[in-house]
Amino acid sequence: MRRIPLLTTFIAGAFALTASIANAEDAPAAQDIANKASAASYYQGKDGKAVVSMKITDSQGRERDREFTILRTDVGDVDNGEQRFYVLFARPADVKGTAFMVWKHEDKDDDRWLYLPALDLVKRIAASDERTSFVGSHFYYEDVSGRSPSEDTHVLIETTPDYYVLDSTPKNPSAVEFAKYRNYIHKATFIPVKTEYYDANGEVYRVYSATKVDVIAGKPTVTASEMDDKRIGGKTTMSYTTVEYDLGLPEDIFTERYLRTPPREYVR
Amino acid sequence: MNPIVEASMKRPSALMWFAGLFSLVMIALVAAPTLAPRALPFLHALKIDTDPENMLAAEEPVRVYHNAMKKEFGLNDLVVVGVIDNAHENGVFNAKTLSDVYALAEFAKTLRWEEDGETKGVIGVDLIAPSTVDSIDQAGLGSVSFSWLMPAAPETDDEALAVREKAQKIPTLNDTLVSGDGKAIALYVPITSKDLSYKVASALKKKIATFDDGATYHITGLPIAQDQFGFEMFKQMAISAPAAMALIFFLMWLFFRRLALITSPMIVAMVSVIGAMGALVITGNTVHIMSSMIPIFVMPIAVLDAVHILSDFYDRYPVYRDKRETMRHVMDELWQPMFFTTLTTCAGFASLALTPIPPVQVFGIFVALGVFLAWIFTVTLIPAYVMLLPEKSFEGFGLAAKPDVEANETLMSRILHTTGNIATKRAGVVLAVFIVGMGVALYGVSRIQINDNPVKWFSPHHDIRIADAALNEKFAGTYMAYLTLEPKADPETDSPARAAADVVMSICGEGFSSVTVEACADFVTPSVAVDLDRAIRNAVSATETREAFLARLSDDAATAQDAAEADEDYYAWDDISSAIGRVVADTETFKRPDVLHFVEGLQEYLIETGLVGKSNALPDIVKTVHRELLLGAPEEFRIPDTTPAVAQTLLTFENSHRPQDLYKLVTPDYRKANLWIQLKSGDNKDMNAVVAAVDAYMASHDAPVALQHQWFGLTYINTVWQHKMVFGMAKSFAGSFAVVLVLMVFLFRSPAWGLLSMAPLTVTILFIYGLIGLIGKDYDMPIAVLSSLSLGLAVDYAIHFNARTREAFLRAGNWNDTVQAVFGEPARAIARNVIVIGAGFLPLLLAPLVPYQTVGVFISAILVLAGVSTLFLLPAIMSVMQGVFFPQKKLAPLKERSA
Repeated sequence: MRRIPLLTTFIAGAFALTASIANAEDAPAAQDIANKASAASYYQGKDGKAVVSMKITDSQGRERDREFTILRTDVGDVDNGEQRFYVLFARPADVKGTAFMVWKHEDKDDDRWLYLPALDLVKRIAASDERTSFVGSHFYYEDVSGRSPSEDTHVLIETTPDYYVLDSTPKNPSAVEFAKYRNYIHKATFIPVKTEYYDANGEVYRVYSATKVDVIAGKPTVTASEMDDKRIGGKTTMSYTTVEYDLGLPEDIFTERYLRTPPREYVR
Repeated sequence: MNPIVEASMKRPSALMWFAGLFSLVMIALVAAPTLAPRALPFLHALKIDTDPENMLAAEEPVRVYHNAMKKEFGLNDLVVVGVIDNAHENGVFNAKTLSDVYALAEFAKTLRWEEDGETKGVIGVDLIAPSTVDSIDQAGLGSVSFSWLMPAAPETDDEALAVREKAQKIPTLNDTLVSGDGKAIALYVPITSKDLSYKVASALKKKIATFDDGATYHITGLPIAQDQFGFEMFKQMAISAPAAMALIFFLMWLFFRRLALITSPMIVAMVSVIGAMGALVITGNTVHIMSSMIPIFVMPIAVLDAVHILSDFYDRYPVYRDKRETMRHVMDELWQPMFFTTLTTCAGFASLALTPIPPVQVFGIFVALGVFLAWIFTVTLIPAYVMLLPEKSFEGFGLAAKPDVEANETLMSRILHTTGNIATKRAGVVLAVFIVGMGVALYGVSRIQINDNPVKWFSPHHDIRIADAALNEKFAGTYMAYLTLEPKADPETDSPARAAADVVMSICGEGFSSVTVEACADFVTPSVAVDLDRAIRNAVSATETREAFLARLSDDAATAQDAAEADEDYYAWDDISSAIGRVVADTETFKRPDVLHFVEGLQEYLIETGLVGKSNALPDIVKTVHRELLLGAPEEFRIPDTTPAVAQTLLTFENSHRPQDLYKLVTPDYRKANLWIQLKSGDNKDMNAVVAAVDAYMASHDAPVALQHQWFGLTYINTVWQHKMVFGMAKSFAGSFAVVLVLMVFLFRSPAWGLLSMAPLTVTILFIYGLIGLIGKDYDMPIAVLSSLSLGLAVDYAIHFNARTREAFLRAGNWNDTVQAVFGEPARAIARNVIVIGAGFLPLLLAPLVPYQTVGVFISAILVLAGVSTLFLLPAIMSVMQGVFFPQKKLAPLKERSA
C-alpha cells in the first residue's frame, strides 16, 4: 500500500476546506434554492397536465396499480403562489371517475374536495393535515401538491459539483411527522432528485427519489419518481406517461361543478 | 451375592470419585458453551424456551398457517398496556393522565434496536395509542376530516374529553382503545417477536414509574405471560426445587437420625438430576416449560429406592451388626423389586415419546434417563457410601437398637400393624370402601373439564393475573384470535374460459356469445370489436387461471387504449376497460356488499354468543367511513349498496395516516378477509366454544359466495396443542399401562399377581382424576403429565409390597404370619417413602407458577394414595383371594437364593 504523506493529506484537506467555503459563498442563499426547487418541481409553465401510472408495492411485494390524470394551473402564473389541482382516477375500474380537487393557498390551509361517483357525493375535506397518505400510496398529499418553501427553515449544508444539499427544518414541528428533511437539489435544473426524511432519532425513515428526468417542452420534468418508507416497508412509484405544459386550461374546470362531469377534452 | 453391589462395596472411594467427576463433566459441558458460546461452537449452550407455541412442532399445520397469516396480514404479537383510573370522575380522560399516555406512546416508539442486522423491538407505525391512530370525523361546513385522534398531549380536561368522544364513535377503537365505560385506555404495543415482550414491558414499567397521575397501569397479553413464565421458571428451579430437596433431607433425618447416612440419597438425586439435565442440554434440547420439570420428577423417584435401602438397612443393622453383611442382605432382598420398579417407571415415562408433542417427548425420554441413572447410582453409590462410613458411626443405629422402645411400639409401627389387621381381618369392608370410592371417582372423572390458559399459570395475585382481570373487565378482551374467510376454490368458475364469458357479458349484456356479434354494445366500434375478440381468444389460450386471464386482458385493453388514434376508439377501449374492471371487481370478494353483509352478520352473531368481547373487521371500516362521508348521520352507518361505492369508501379511508391498517383486515386482492376477535377469556374451553359456534354459523348460513374459514392466533393455537396433548397422553398412558402389566406378569410369573400389582395404581389414578373432576380443577398441561408420574410411583409400592409379601410367605408358610412380617419392615419402608417424598414436594406450593404448585400437590396426593391403596387394598384382596395368590403348591421364589 502506498503511503500518503501526512503533509500532503493535510494540504489536500485544507484546499478542500477552502474550496467548500468558497463554494458556499458563491452559492445562492438557502431560501432561494428552496424557492427555486419548489418552482422547478411544481410550477413549470402556466399550467400542466400529466397522466400518471402509480404502482404501490407493499412490504410483502404485493402490488396495486392506480392510474390518474393530474391537471394543474398556477393562479396568475406566479411561482410559489396560488395553484389549483384536479386529479381524476381512471383505474382501477371501481374507482374510475373518482376525483380530487385542491386549491392551494399561500397563507392559509388549502381547500380540498373529493368526488365519489358511486355515491354521487362531492365532499369537502378538511386539510388541516396534508401529511396523510395519497390514496393509500407511500406519497403524501403534500408530496403531490408541493410543500410551500416558506414552511421550513433551510440551511445549505453542502455544495457538491452537481447538487446543493439543503437541510430543512419545520417552523411548526407539531404539524409534521419529520424532524427535518434533506434535499439533494440539482444545481442546473433546481430539481430535487432525492429527499430524505429524518425522524426525531436522526434516522432516515422515508426517501423520495426522482428516478427519471426528461426535458419536455424545454422544461426539465421528473417523469418517474419513487417514495419508500422504512416504517411501513415497500414503496410507491409514479411514472408520468404523458406530460404537457401550457395547455391554456380554463380556471373554471377547477370548480366543484367539474368534479361530477370531468372535462373530457383535457383528461383524454 | 450381587456382583455389582459387591464390586461397589470393594471400591467405594473410586466410585464416589467417579460420581463426582461425572457431575463435574456434565456441569462443565453445559456451563462452558453457555458462558463462552464462541469458544466452543461444537457444544450446545443452555437454551431456554418458554413459548407454549413450541408445544407443537414447527411444521404443525396450525403453526404454519398462523405464521403465514401473520405475515400476510402484517400482524404482530401485542403487549397490552391498560391505563385505568377508577377514582377520577372521567377516568383517565383528564389532561394530566392523557399527557402521560402520550409520553408513554412516544417512549414506546423508541423501544427498538439493531440486533444481528435486524431492527427489533416495538413496531411504532403499528402502535395503537390515542396519538398514533386516526380519527375520521366531521370538521364543520360539511367537510370530513382525517386527523390524529390525539395529535399532541391535551392541555385541558376538555381536550381530553374530546379525545374520548371521538374514539367512542369509531367502532374499531371503542372498547379496544377506549374502554366500554369510557374511563380507561388501552395501548396495543406491537413487537417484532414474542420473546421481546418481557424486555419491552420492563422498559415501559420504568417509564410508567416516572408518572404521577392517579391512574394504574397494567401490562398483560399472552406474549407477556409466556415470556414472564420463563423468568419465573428460573426462580422456581432456583428456589422451589432446592427447597423440596431440603425438606426431603430433613424428613429423612427425622427417620434415620444419621446425617452422614442420609446424605447418600441426596447425592444420588443430585447426580441423577445433573446427569439427566446435562444430557438434555448437551444433546441440544431446549429447557422448555415441560423439561424444566424434569428435576422435580427425577428427584422423588431417585430418592425413593434409596429410602427403601436405608429403611431396610436401618431395621436390619441391629441383627447383623456389620455394615457389609447388612448391606448384602438388604440389597439381596431389594435388588429385584428395585430393578423392576425402575423398569416400570422408565417404561411409563418413555411412553411419552409416543405423544405427538415434541416437548413432552423430550420430557418423557429424559425423565426415563434420569430414573435409569438414579437406579445405577442407587445400587452402586449407596452401598459404596455406607462402606465409607466407619462402623462405629452405626452404633446405636437401627430400630431394635433403641432399648426403651420395642420395635412394635413406635407410633408408625403400631399404626402399620393396625393397618395390616384391618386390611386382612376386615377385608370385605376395605374392599367395599374402595369400590364405593372408585364409583365416586368415576363420577368425578366423568365431570373432568379439559381446559388450560397460560395466563392462569400464574398465581391469582401475580401482576399478570391482576392486569388480566382488570383489563378484561374494562375492555373487549386481551386475548386475540383471528378468523380468516376466503372463497372456496371452484375450478369451473376459476377457468379463463369462464372469465372470458363473464367479460363478454359485462360488455354486451346477457345472451351474447362474442363481442363481434352485432348489437353487442353500441360503444364498441367494429374494428375495436375485432381487436377485442382476438385479445380475448389469445388471453384464454395463454393463461390458466381466471386471475391471470383478467390481468392479461386488462393490460391489453390499456395498451390498445393508449394506442388508439380516434377519440371514438379511445373511449370504446375506455369503456371496455371499465367492463373488464367490473369482472375483476367481482372476483374481489370482500368488496361485494352482499359478502360484507354476510361478514357483518357473522360479527353480530359472535357478539350474541356472549363468548366474544368484540370483533374488528372490514365492514367496520366501510361503515364508519360511509357514515362520516354522509355528515356523520347514524343511519348512514351501513355498507353501501354497490361494489364501486364500497371501493370508493375504502379509497377514501386510504387517504388517512394509516392506510396500511386496511390490509390487516383484508388482502389487497380482496380475496381473503381477517376478523380480529378479542376475547375476555383465554381459557381453551371458551376458545373452543367460539370455534364451534362459528362452525355452526357457517354451516347454517349460506354466504353469497361459498366461503371457507380458518382460525389462527395464539389463543387458538393453545387449544390445538391441548387437544393433541390430552389425546396423546391418553394413548401413551394406555400403552405404558399395558407394558407395565406385561412386566408385572413376567416379574411374578403369574397373571394373577401381575394384575394385582396394577390395582394400587389403577385406584390411585382413578381417585386422583376423580378428585380433579370433583373439585372442578381444570385438566390442564401439568395434570395431563401427572398420569405418567402416578403410573411410575404407584406401581413401585405395589412391586415392593408384593415381592416382599411373597418372600415373607415363603418363609412363614401361612398368611397370618406373612401379614405380621410384611407390616413390619417392608410396610415401614413404604410408609417412610410416602412421608419423605410426599411431604418433600409440598415446598413446590411456594412456586409463583401454578403448574408447579399443581405438580407439588398432586405428587404428594399420588404418593399418599398409592401408599394407602398399597397397604390397604393389596392385603385385603390377598386375604379374600388367598386361594388364588397362595395356592397349596409352593410359590415359585422370585430368585434362587444362595444363602
